[in-house]
Amino acid sequence: MSNQKKRIFQIEAFQNRVVVDPKYAEKTWKILEHAIHEIYNHNASGLSFEELYRNAYNMVLHKFGEKLYSGLVTTMTAHLKEISKSIEAAQGNLFLEELNRKWNDHNKALQMIRDILMYMDRTYIPDTHKTPVHELGLNLWRDNIIHSGKIQSRLLSTLLELVHRERTGEVIDRGLMRNIVKMLMDLGSSIYQEDFEKPFLEVSAEFYRGESQKFIECYDCGDSLKKAEIRLNEEIERVTHYLDAKSEGKITNVVEKEMIANHMMRLVHMENSGLVNMLLNDKHGDLGRMYNLFRRVPNGLAMIRDVMTSHLRETGKQLVTDAESLKDPVEYVQRLLDEKEKYDGIISLAFSNDKTFQNALNSSFEYFINLNSRSPEFISLFVDDKLRKGLKGVSEGDVEIILDKVMMIFRYLQEKDVFEKYYKQHLAKRLLSLIVKLKTACGYQYTSKLEGMFTDMKTSQDTMQGFCSSHPELTDGPTLVVQVLTTGSWPTQPSITCHLPFEMSALCEKFRSYYLGTHTDIKAIFGKGQKHELNVSTYQMCVLMLFNNADRLCYKEIEQGTAIPASDLKRCLQSMACVKGKNVLRKEPMSKDIGEDDSFFVNEKFASKFYKVKVGTVVAQKESEPEKQETRQRVEEDRKPQIEAAIVRIMKSRKVLDHNNIIAEVTKQLQSRFLANPTEIKKRIESLIEREFLERDNSDRKMYRYLA
Amino acid sequence: MGVQKDVVKFNVGGRIFQTTATTLANAGRDSFFGALFDDNWDLQQPPNNRQEFFIDRNPDCFAVLLDLLRTGDLYIPSNVPERLLYREAMFYGLIDHVRSAKWGPFDGNRLKLSRSVTGRAPGDGTAIRAGPVGGCCVAHGSMVHVFDWMLEEHPPINLDYQRVNDIGWVNSEHVLISACERIGKGDGGMGLFSSSTGDLRYKFNVVHDNQIKSYTAGALSFSPDYKIFASCKGRSNEYGIGVWDQVTGKQMDFFYESPGWSLGDADKLQWLNESNCLLVATLFPRKDNCYISLLDFREKRMVWSWSDIGAPFTVDEKRVRDAIAMEECNSVCVVNEYDDLGFIDLRINGGSVRWSSRSRLLKGKMPDEPCYPKLALHNGQLFSSMNDSISVFCGPDWVLTSRLRRCYGGSICDFSIGGDRLFALHSEENVFDVWETPPPPVI
Repeated sequence: MSNQKKRIFQIEAFQNRVVVDPKYAEKTWKILEHAIHEIYNHNASGLSFEELYRNAYNMVLHKFGEKLYSGLVTTMTAHLKEISKSIEAAQGNLFLEELNRKWNDHNKALQMIRDILMYMDRTYIPDTHKTPVHELGLNLWRDNIIHSGKIQSRLLSTLLELVHRERTGEVIDRGLMRNIVKMLMDLGSSIYQEDFEKPFLEVSAEFYRGESQKFIECYDCGDSLKKAEIRLNEEIERVTHYLDAKSEGKITNVVEKEMIANHMMRLVHMENSGLVNMLLNDKHGDLGRMYNLFRRVPNGLAMIRDVMTSHLRETGKQLVTDAESLKDPVEYVQRLLDEKEKYDGIISLAFSNDKTFQNALNSSFEYFINLNSRSPEFISLFVDDKLRKGLKGVSEGDVEIILDKVMMIFRYLQEKDVFEKYYKQHLAKRLLSLIVKLKTACGYQYTSKLEGMFTDMKTSQDTMQGFCSSHPELTDGPTLVVQVLTTGSWPTQPSITCHLPFEMSALCEKFRSYYLGTHTDIKAIFGKGQKHELNVSTYQMCVLMLFNNADRLCYKEIEQGTAIPASDLKRCLQSMACVKGKNVLRKEPMSKDIGEDDSFFVNEKFASKFYKVKVGTVVAQKESEPEKQETRQRVEEDRKPQIEAAIVRIMKSRKVLDHNNIIAEVTKQLQSRFLANPTEIKKRIESLIEREFLERDNSDRKMYRYLA
Repeated sequence: MGVQKDVVKFNVGGRIFQTTATTLANAGRDSFFGALFDDNWDLQQPPNNRQEFFIDRNPDCFAVLLDLLRTGDLYIPSNVPERLLYREAMFYGLIDHVRSAKWGPFDGNRLKLSRSVTGRAPGDGTAIRAGPVGGCCVAHGSMVHVFDWMLEEHPPINLDYQRVNDIGWVNSEHVLISACERIGKGDGGMGLFSSSTGDLRYKFNVVHDNQIKSYTAGALSFSPDYKIFASCKGRSNEYGIGVWDQVTGKQMDFFYESPGWSLGDADKLQWLNESNCLLVATLFPRKDNCYISLLDFREKRMVWSWSDIGAPFTVDEKRVRDAIAMEECNSVCVVNEYDDLGFIDLRINGGSVRWSSRSRLLKGKMPDEPCYPKLALHNGQLFSSMNDSISVFCGPDWVLTSRLRRCYGGSICDFSIGGDRLFALHSEENVFDVWETPPPPVI
């Protein structure tokens, strides 16, 4: 009984809770629906927020969330349909304005509706995974307004029309444009992209395709680029004014493709105004513009670089092979420097110091400078010239700048050792001439020691060469290098005597007898009865001896009588016949150079205030052809041990290596000094095999093995 | 002093309150007060020239909430039930304010027991997991009960009524359950549920050789780059660790266990963010031996491993019962059934356990129904459950600094820290405790 009673009570309680008022939900919703109407009708001032909020809360609390939500969707949709009609009805220019006004109204209404329904938004919507109120409002706007048949296409064409009008110079209402585009973005990035951005890009591509065709037909390259640049900047500006920032890359891509990428070839190679013309005329502004525009498109810069490189190589090749410029080494190098400076300027001012362009410039210079094998010599001569001139008029700083520039060019040389050889010679001459100048300024005593030191080095070298050739049997034994120094000229060092091993002392003895044998002071008597003791070289001695038996000898006779090599003989005769103060011989005709038909006789008028006269040997000015050959040969000779050392160094670490790799590695190791000739490397390898530093692999003849 | 212009007068359920617009602004725009004073509503002045705004709500709760807005401090008088206050806070949109004022930032040494919640589940508890915003979920047998931070119970969850092995919060809205399979039915496995409604949202598949296979899912772990890891056992010896994408729900990877090692039966998975590795621990007594390893999924390689296979057993038989990696210390902390902590060096492969016997005094009074100890690490504090209490260890030498104990409920079978709360699940009585750090002191 009591059990049953209890059950009845429970049922009653259950019923009481649910059935609040059968019409409760409907009544409450009516209040809210009315409020939504009033909000859309700008009539909200009479509404009580507290009452509406409480009613919406109560509906959710009493499980009428679904009714509330679906009611909201229905009511809002109905209002949006009305709005859609009023927007459609707007005429002409008013269309966008009406759309914008209604959009602002809707946003405000949406915010207020969301305020009323906040509790539903917080509890009922997440639990049931429905769309939150704000998002719902945007979706309904999208579906009922933006995607309504009569508005969608009209909106798009209006927007595109405005952009087109702005492109053709009209002033449009950018603020309105920005608001409408902002609306599309608020509705979701996909709406913006599909409903505006995509067609916008297509129309833009078409517009610029036509325009660029016109430009390229009517304007030269520089002007076409200027127009493209202006258009590009306009589009970037347009994006900042009223488009989504993400569109910037896309629209600039369109302009770049239509105005640059599609006409790249034509622009670069445009007759009388293309890239080469700009380079020739140093049009830094145009070049910079081209660089900045082409940088934006694929392969743009590569194209500029390639054209520049081939133009540079072509002009460079002409420069180094031009017979005219070869006549004057200083002018030759000066023109190289000018060319380098011109392009350095272009790259730094127009190509924003682009590393790849600098590399292209370097490789081009390297290419054509080495086309002329005399480049090292000429550069050395140029430096020589500048250093000599540097003494007068030009400040030290200026010389430094010039030298720095020359160093830039020097780096392009592949045969740096050839330069070194020439430079040594020129340096020696310059030193001598300095000494001569010092002598004129300060007198003989001042420089005699310096001069002595210098001639010591020179004669020692000659002596050693002579010694070696006169004792061919000595090549197997220890090599002797002797510097014969004049006592007193050099800073003194304590000399310590010790017993040399037999081989060494024998060698020294041989050298001593050789040296004493060649260097003889000659006592000569000249016409005026003056006696002089001449200190001369062996060759000079030989020549002078001939005059003991004859007064006058022609070149050929001397050559026959002494059998001295022609180049040496010429230098020898030059030093005795053409140097002032040392001219113990006279020659006919009087000239600075020695000719094959010249004849020589003793200078009866020779006079000197000294009893002992040292007759030096002149150093050649610009090298004659055979001398050049000889320098060349000496260079090759000097390279041999360096190549061998490199091979041994490499093989010592690698033990086994094939031929091609040795060549490659040796070339790499030596490239800072010179470009090793592969055949020469091969010869060196052969030589090393002979001397049992290396051996060939038995199975693979291309492999070499290092023998420890 | 001039007349204050921003004074606002409310009539709440017949009681007059006066406050300022500045105070109400603390509620934020996304609240009743935020909307009420928005320009849109044009309601700066009370309507109908009345002196005050009328609100048809409970004045006692309004007083508490107004005080909260004024001071940021939550004081609930004894005459106001918490549930009532929470409901009113929900009405005004101030529930987040209440939650963040209710308890302070977590500190293991200042924890106070806040509530004990009794459940109705039969049988032993399996696991308890703290949610990200103060709620928790509890697994008993095949059922999972979900509680929000107010400790209001939401509809319970089950995965085909299969026995639940592990649970975890993917985010505050979603709970993941791993369960045993039902042979031949494709039931069980792993499922994602809504924490508020209990609806099944997604079931995760395991694919072997392009075929969907049924499987038993075990221990779970999550990585910050939205991956789910689970130990899995398939029908045909497809044992190992499965990896899924939380966003797409698709299986991304599967790390098959090699012979002589154990992954698919793991007791514990722990994602290590620094080293980008997953710790997998299979322990006694699930297996005869203990296997702890670190997996690098980028290289598909086991980068570190430790096992007690072949190790001689000492008289007091120290078997590893739980393990946790401590990346800052480059070590794995382990615990045995006597609550001894041990450490294994993560930099050496195949190192040994360095036991520190600190807690011997506990020995000798083992309860009737012992529970295996569990470990947790939070903000540099180490927690270890043993019988009916949880020990807190701090500092570089892991000194015992606090012990949390409650009188009834029996042994603690699992505990979890999250949302600045610690939840401890007891095995004998169906009850779990909520421990909180009180809000900062007034002065």
